[in-house]
Amino acid sequence: MKFDRINVIGLGNVLYGDEGFGVQAVKSFLESSEYPDSVKCIDGGTQGIYLLDYLESADAVIVFDALIPLDYDRQVYVYRNEELPGFIHRKMSSHQMGFSELIGLARLRGNMPREIVLIGIPPKDLELGIGLSSEVSSLLPEAVLAGKEIVDEWLSVS
Amino acid sequence: MAKKIVVDPIPRIEGHLRIEAKLNDSNVIEDAFSSGTMWRGIEIILRGRDPRDAWAFAERICGVCTTVHALASVRCVEDALGIAIPPNARIIRNLMNATQQTQDHLVHFYHLHALDWVDVVSALKADPKQASAIAQSISSWPKSSVGYFKDLQQKLVGFVESGQLGIFANGYWGHPAYKLPPEVNLIAVAHYLEALDFQKEIIKIQTIFGGKNPHPNYLVGGMACAIDPNSDTAINIERLSMIKKIIDDTNTFIDQVYIPDLIAIAGFYKGWLYGGGLGNYLTYGDFPETTLADFKSLLWPRGAILNKDLSTVIDVDPRDASQVTEEVSHSWYTYSKGDSKGLHPWQGETKPSYTGPKPPFEHLDTDKKYSWLKTPRWKNHPMEVGPLARVLVAYAKGDPMIKDTVGLVLKKLEVGPEALFSTLGRTAARGIECKQTAGFMRHFYDQLVANIKTGDYRTFNGERWDPSTWPNECKGFGYTEAPRGALGHWIHIENEKIKEYQIVVPSTWNASPRDGNGNSGAYEAALKGTPMHNPEQPLEIIRTVHSFDPCLACASHVFDVNGKEITTVKIV
Repeated sequence: MKFDRINVIGLGNVLYGDEGFGVQAVKSFLESSEYPDSVKCIDGGTQGIYLLDYLESADAVIVFDALIPLDYDRQVYVYRNEELPGFIHRKMSSHQMGFSELIGLARLRGNMPREIVLIGIPPKDLELGIGLSSEVSSLLPEAVLAGKEIVDEWLSVS
Repeated sequence: MAKKIVVDPIPRIEGHLRIEAKLNDSNVIEDAFSSGTMWRGIEIILRGRDPRDAWAFAERICGVCTTVHALASVRCVEDALGIAIPPNARIIRNLMNATQQTQDHLVHFYHLHALDWVDVVSALKADPKQASAIAQSISSWPKSSVGYFKDLQQKLVGFVESGQLGIFANGYWGHPAYKLPPEVNLIAVAHYLEALDFQKEIIKIQTIFGGKNPHPNYLVGGMACAIDPNSDTAINIERLSMIKKIIDDTNTFIDQVYIPDLIAIAGFYKGWLYGGGLGNYLTYGDFPETTLADFKSLLWPRGAILNKDLSTVIDVDPRDASQVTEEVSHSWYTYSKGDSKGLHPWQGETKPSYTGPKPPFEHLDTDKKYSWLKTPRWKNHPMEVGPLARVLVAYAKGDPMIKDTVGLVLKKLEVGPEALFSTLGRTAARGIECKQTAGFMRHFYDQLVANIKTGDYRTFNGERWDPSTWPNECKGFGYTEAPRGALGHWIHIENEKIKEYQIVVPSTWNASPRDGNGNSGAYEAALKGTPMHNPEQPLEIIRTVHSFDPCLACASHVFDVNGKEITTVKIV
């Protein structure tokens, strides 16, 4: 079945170093290629419940986010569907009503997208300041490419 | 022996607030301490930047109220540079602000606070027939049939039986402080879910005017959106009628769902009138009909009330160096002229100096410094800000609409105005205010349409956009009444760059620690005297703190790697 609407959402707080990974990633994703109108890119910041519509209104969703725990090997992680809850748990800037709760709400309401993928990197530096650490920066293209490949795969479904 | 309870962290939206409460032998809270456990440093990030960009950084400090920080920021830069914005920009900002406030209050009531009063698990036992009868007796809202409640209940049962309590997993279900009959719990859960659909609609107004949401676009000198009734890409007739429909639906939902629910739920808690606290209330006012400087034109009036005395509203001037000050006697900062000397934000300093215990720790040394929040005071008084402060000031000043709504709610509940000085009063004030701001949405929509009809499409004044037109040095103040209370941004511009920037957010007022005179902040005062049924399940503390709608990333930042549980409770 075709994916009529694909949302690519970046989460995080750009004021705290690598916490801004998701927002940076969605920006790079948008710049990396030309996408049809069915692909929407959203800078979700640290919003919680206000992002529910972006989750529920799509057939497929990609979420870029910094990953906790911090002591994971620093590499790009990709989680699909059932693998996903329990991993989006940012402790730093936000929100007990975070993205994992949104997934809970969308499930309760029967509005989950058919596909959901989390692409994340454990942060190195969460100190106050704008910009990613060199370690996370160097992994950014790989994370964006992983997202692009998945979106291309979804777009090829007819 | 005194027991000490620690609740860390509390807010469901933003971390990180830590409450320490000391109980006496009868489990009544004897004393309470509120601590922000993350450092915020937006002031340092903004230093040296272009003042025209400040809003885009400022709106990132809070996960929820992005638009209010952007608004306060552009207002303070315009104040510093002497920029007058066109009428359309004023109206659109007011409309966006009223939208934000209305939506935020709805989400707070249903999705962040209701579950402190509504027992989700009890709803499973409800009789759908009775639920339907009750729903129809309190409102003409159409979604109230027996079948509707039956279906919902079955869905809920399935959800619970599958072991995925999910979003509801952290409640103290069955706690004796829950007083609603199962049927009212079921109605509230139904509206919890309906309000989710509704809040998705209302937010579209931000997208239409701000280009995107979250993080709508603001602009120093006006707004970035274009108005042209005949253009496909601008604010046109089609978009205006879409806005009109959203506003109408918003008002219907508030009148037929939010207010009746509020009254129905509060009716079962009339005996729980704890949490009043300071009795001092502060508001800067907002929603200008002309300019911000013309404070007589503010639809929400500004003023202060001391010691619950509704017969006197004292005028407030946040520019006055002797009125709004911040000191750091119990805050992890140092001031060059002494920590207990209050500094007006234009003289403000941001020098962090952590002297607390190394985390993880059991409890804070509250005789010394114990919070990352500074300690704002108004004429040396600790003040409560937020919906209750705004409603009380407007009520005391005789605002006719507020008097009507307050009167209606009090009459239905059969209580007097003194009941407002409580946790429940704070929660009721939020609903009353929500009805008021939904009315403002209509008012500003009509104003916008009328102004466009005169042929005025301007949204931006670019006369002072170019920094070469600026003075070498200037100061500005920008304010707004955010959903959580009085918000002020103070800027000092020198040589086209930000020299200093200070923000005093609502949660800093409400969650502040003690000052040098030993006076408690608003949360601390509100918790004192509250009896607890079971200290291991601090529902009473959570109720009162949630009633302020805390948003602590607003007030304090950086991370807490241990904050795993929604509520960590320890008896010390």
